[in-house]
Parts: sequence; C-alpha cells; structure tokens
Amino acid sequence: MGFISEIDLLRVDLTNRKIKKETITGDKVRKYLGGRGLASKILYDEIDPKVDPLSPDNKLIFATGLLTGTAASTGGRYMVVTKGPLTGTIASSNSGGFFGAELKFSGNDLIIFEGKADKPVYLSIDGDQIKIKDANNIWGKNVNQSTDLLKEEFGNSNAKVSCIGPAGENKVLFASIMNDKNRAAGRTGVGAVMGSKNLKAVIVKADQKTIDYNKDKLMEVVKKHTKRIKENGVTGEGLPALGTKVLDNIINSNGLYPTRNFQEATFKYTSEVSGEALVEKGYLTNNTGCYGCPIRCGREVELPNGRKGEGPEYETGWAFGADCGVDDLHAVTEANFLCNELGLDTITAGTTIACAMELYEKGYIDKDELDNGPELKFGSSESIIYYTKKMAYREGIGDELAMGSYRFAESKGHPEFSMTVKKQELPAYDPRGVQGHGLQYVTSNRGGCHVRGYMISPEILGVPEKLEPQELKGKPEWVKTFQDLTAIIDSIGMCLFTSFELGLEDYNDLVNSGVGFDFSPEQLLKVGERIYNLERKFNLEAGITPKEDSLPARFTEKPIPNGPQKGNLSKYKEILKEYYELRGWGQDGYITKQKLNDLGL
Amino acid sequence: MVVKVKFHSLFKLNLKSAGINYYIDQPISIEELIKKLDNDFEGYFSEKLLDTGQIKPGSIILINGKNVLHIDKLDTLIEDGDNVTLFPPSAGG
Ligand code: SF4
Repeated sequence: MGFISEIDLLRVDLTNRKIKKETITGDKVRKYLGGRGLASKILYDEIDPKVDPLSPDNKLIFATGLLTGTAASTGGRYMVVTKGPLTGTIASSNSGGFFGAELKFSGNDLIIFEGKADKPVYLSIDGDQIKIKDANNIWGKNVNQSTDLLKEEFGNSNAKVSCIGPAGENKVLFASIMNDKNRAAGRTGVGAVMGSKNLKAVIVKADQKTIDYNKDKLMEVVKKHTKRIKENGVTGEGLPALGTKVLDNIINSNGLYPTRNFQEATFKYTSEVSGEALVEKGYLTNNTGCYGCPIRCGREVELPNGRKGEGPEYETGWAFGADCGVDDLHAVTEANFLCNELGLDTITAGTTIACAMELYEKGYIDKDELDNGPELKFGSSESIIYYTKKMAYREGIGDELAMGSYRFAESKGHPEFSMTVKKQELPAYDPRGVQGHGLQYVTSNRGGCHVRGYMISPEILGVPEKLEPQELKGKPEWVKTFQDLTAIIDSIGMCLFTSFELGLEDYNDLVNSGVGFDFSPEQLLKVGERIYNLERKFNLEAGITPKEDSLPARFTEKPIPNGPQKGNLSKYKEILKEYYELRGWGQDGYITKQKLNDLGL
Repeated sequence: MVVKVKFHSLFKLNLKSAGINYYIDQPISIEELIKKLDNDFEGYFSEKLLDTGQIKPGSIILINGKNVLHIDKLDTLIEDGDNVTLFPPSAGG
C-alpha cells in the first residue's frame, strides 16, 4: 500500500472469476480526488453511458474517499457508483458506518466489479487473501441474517460487511446496498445492479489499521475542526440529541412538509411522528455514530414490541409518515426496519406507496389488483408495512411498485401523480416552498435528491446564512456552489453533515495537509465543478436530455393549498437559464465545448 | 388578545413543555416576547436565541410560519392570534 494519493484498486471480473490489482497515480487523483469523483471518471471511461444498467456491461464501483480512514472527522465513508436502473443517470450513493474505512485499511481504495457471476457469489477480503466465494446459502437471506452468516463463515466478528437484501436480489429498481447492517448506500437503485451481477456481498477485514498519509499535519487541522464541530449548536447538540428527525417540526412549521403525496405541505400530526416524539415515547435508546464521527447522529431504537434497529431518519420517517398520511410512529419505524432488512431505499419505497395511495383514492387502481391486501388509503399504517414487503419480494402489485412511482403511475396512465425528477422520487421538502432547493432538484445529476446541494440549509435553517426561501435572485449561484462543494465532500470521503460547521477553506486545509496537495480553495472548488460536469456529460450521453431538468406539473401549476406557504408555486423555470449560463452551459442546457476544455474534460 | 408560543426540538425536551400562551393588550415585539419568556423560564430563551442582542445564527423564530429574519427581526410585531414557533439552531437532511 503506497502513500494516500496513490489509489490502489481491485478489478473483479465476476464473469471469469478473475481478480486483478491496479494503481492510479498522479494527475487523475488531483483532478478527481477519490470516492464519487474518481469512480465517476472510471465509470465514464470504461462503460458506454447507453448500457442497460442491469446488464453485465454495466460496472459497479465501491470507492472510498481520498481521506477515508484518516483522522479526518467523519472520514469513514464510501460511495457506490454505477449507472442507475431507476433514473438511467449516473448513480452514486454514499454510506457511512465502518465498512469504508476497513476497505481502505485493507489496502483497497476502490473495487470495480465487472460482468456477472453465473451463480450467487460474494467477495471476501481477508488481509492479502482476496477471493470470490460461493453465496448460495446466503442468497435469499435478509441483510441482518446475511451479515451474521458471512461473519461466521469468515471466522471474525470484526469483519465488515456490505451486502444486498432480497430487494437487491429481486432487482427492485430502488434497492439499496447496506453495510454494517443499518447504514445504506440508499438511493438510485445501486442494490439492483449488485443483484443483477449475482453479487451478494463484500466482506472485509484488514490486517492492520494504518494508512500512509501526513498524519501529524492533518491532525493539527482536525483538532481545530473537531472543537468547532463540538461547539456548534447543530453538530454538537441538535444532531446528537435528535438526529435528522429534528427537522419534522421545522419543515412543517415553515409550511413545506410534503403531505399525502405532495398534495399539501403541512401535516396535522407531525408532532406524533417527529424526532421529539421518538425521544418522548421512549423508543430512542441511544445515539450512534459512524467511523471517526464526533457528531453521532444515528438513532438506536427499540419498539415496545421488542423489535430493535436503527432509524428512522428524517426522510424515512416523512416518506412513510406524512407523505402516506400516516401518524403512527410505531408503524413508520417498523417500515424503516423492514427497508433496512430487505435492502430498500426508504425514500422511494415510502413515496412510491404514497403515489399508489393517491392513484387508488382517485380510482386509477382497482381493488382487485390489491389481491386482498389492505386498501391503499392515506393514513393506513397497515399498508406501509404490507406493501413494503410486497415490493421487496415483487409479489402481486408489489412487482409493479418495485419499478418506482414513475413507471408505476405511467402504467396506470397517470405519470403526473409521480413526484419525481428523472424518475427518482423527491425527498421531504416541497419545492414550492423553497425556490433554490427546487432548482437543485431539477439539476441534480442523480434525479430527485436533497444531498447534491442541500439548499434547505441556507433557505430554511440559516446555515451558513439565512436566505429568503421565495427569493429567486442569487439562488442559481448558491445552487452551483453547493453542488460543487458537495461533490468535493463526497470525493474526499467525509459526511455532508460536517458542512453545517465546515466550509470550502476547511476542506481545502484537510486535503492539502493530509495528502500534501497545494490547492487554493478556488482550485479545489473547480475539482468539484469538474466532477459535476463529468456526471452531467455522462447523463447527456446516456440520453437524458435537459428536457428532464423539470419538476412534475403539480409544482408549477397547483399552488400549495394551505399553511404558511399557501398560494406558492415553484418558479424554477425563471432561473434555470441563468443557472445554465453560470455553469457555462448553453441556453439549451448542453455543456459547451469551451467549458469542457476549461475543465480538462 | 392571545399569543401562542410553541417550543420544539431541544426547547421542548429540555423544558418539558410544548409551549405557553400570553395574553397581551397590544401588539408586542419579538424582543419583548423573549423578555416575557425569560421571566418564565429563568433567562433560558435569550441565552439560546440571542447573541449580543441579535438573533443567533441558525436560531429559528417563526410568526405564523414566516421567519422573522425576513420581516423585522427582533422588532417584528406579534399581534392577536399569532402563532410563534421557536427552534434552536438545527439541521439534518
Ligand atoms: S454525522 Fe451521522 S451520518 Fe454523518 S458520519 Fe456522523 S453519525 Fe454518520
């Protein structure tokens, strides 16, 4: 294992069962860092963006960040990058836990999976011993069972596991990849790609926990950051105490908490399903953290029926709660546990059920189609659990729901009821209530998503400064900067939540001190811009045209019916051209030659 | 006239209270409201919401769902029937 800026990768040819080691050095690392950036570059270079995402021609990349495994706060993260089956765009999904750091310690910064195994297999990394092994007896098992069985077979309970559940095996288009049981590379259906390759899991145990980097220099910077993170009201107090679910009441009180498939923007029973309720009802037993994290926002929860697990996070609780009109925190938490065990993206799972509920209530789904299952009515806590299982196993109507809300609603003749961008479901913020965030939704490179440029932070939470949510002026610039900065954070392997305290200069200090680079903050931000443009280039070549930079008609035609944001519509169309221009793209949304040259693409 | 004040997040958990109602004769400002709250909760709110006489960055004070930072900040007037909602600096995602 060389110095940190030398990327050691493992190429695993599943079709021919061959494993090869390679090294990337120099310019490529400076240009793309690691994690999301470097893996996107590899994917772009190695596959035709037009490939069928579930065919053996697609590749699946597990990529640790440049600083994963170092002393950088929250530096334990990894990304899964592939062409996504839900959106057809480049898909990259980020996860915490401990798996990423262990992978890095094992001397493998990145794994590229190619082809398709003829029967279920898993990859075992035991120090230098790297093998493709038979997974027949684990196939079909849920995430918790698989993780336990794999560790047993491996003979070391400290090994770290990343795997798919039944949903990934069944190629549910929004299947997740789960590591350390409860942490998810959740969005964009990366688990379905893993399933399509007959790859059940990766288990890794490093011989030693050392990597070669400028430890002393990095530590100096980290110490200062950690102190600030601990003293910050959000990262030092709010997130540890209430987790991300601190947001339920905030977003609801601001009038942009999507309710009943985004038909309304306030939910009467928010207090019942909020983060505060999780504490008050006594479900929360502890807060937990990922590798090297001083924030520890994870929720360890035990339900009155004895079921234990982690979650729900804000987005999950909302998707199965307000978006389905459900006010039962017990059922919402149970649905979350199920998603973790079965390996489903919680946001798409919950919101797909919400979409089906609207279709059912409007008479576009027949009762017969439900096979005696509970009626798909808003507020039905029975439904969220029942149909979550059906989706993962593709049983009955679950087989159709497994395609996500867009394809499902389209098959019923009414795609307008799917609250998606580029066929991926929107998360828990109504874009009619936050103009910058709406622009961010339509320009996100992986479809409807909040973590490609979290504009809620300035527009609602006032971090790093408070912007008026309905104001349009200046928003394109904010969106661009946030998107580029997020691409950096995802590429160095840190958690996005550090950005509630840290800024561009801080990340720049970390990269320069740990790796020995000499970036200026502007140069580093340009790396983020390069990554963002590369992803866009992939999508354009995959046939996702700028026409798809759009929100469902509901948001531009139907004003929010009640609450503090009553009467508001999304005005993203008024600022989209300005955003394109700021990005140096043509008025038509295509990247100009000049911009590509300028970024060295 | 009545003003309803709602506490959420750490305010609600730490104070074990979901809020308080005040009866007022004439409109009062947010600043005056915080003084009233301080009287009832031993100075808790100015410590949590204010920083050198200004609204602390990240603290959220809403009147009927509108952030007072975009109205008149601490001088924003609260009138009969208004709902005030208070949050300490918070974030998630
Ligand atoms: S802030 Fe939360 S999600 Fe991020 S690394 Fe820490 S525990 Fe994990």
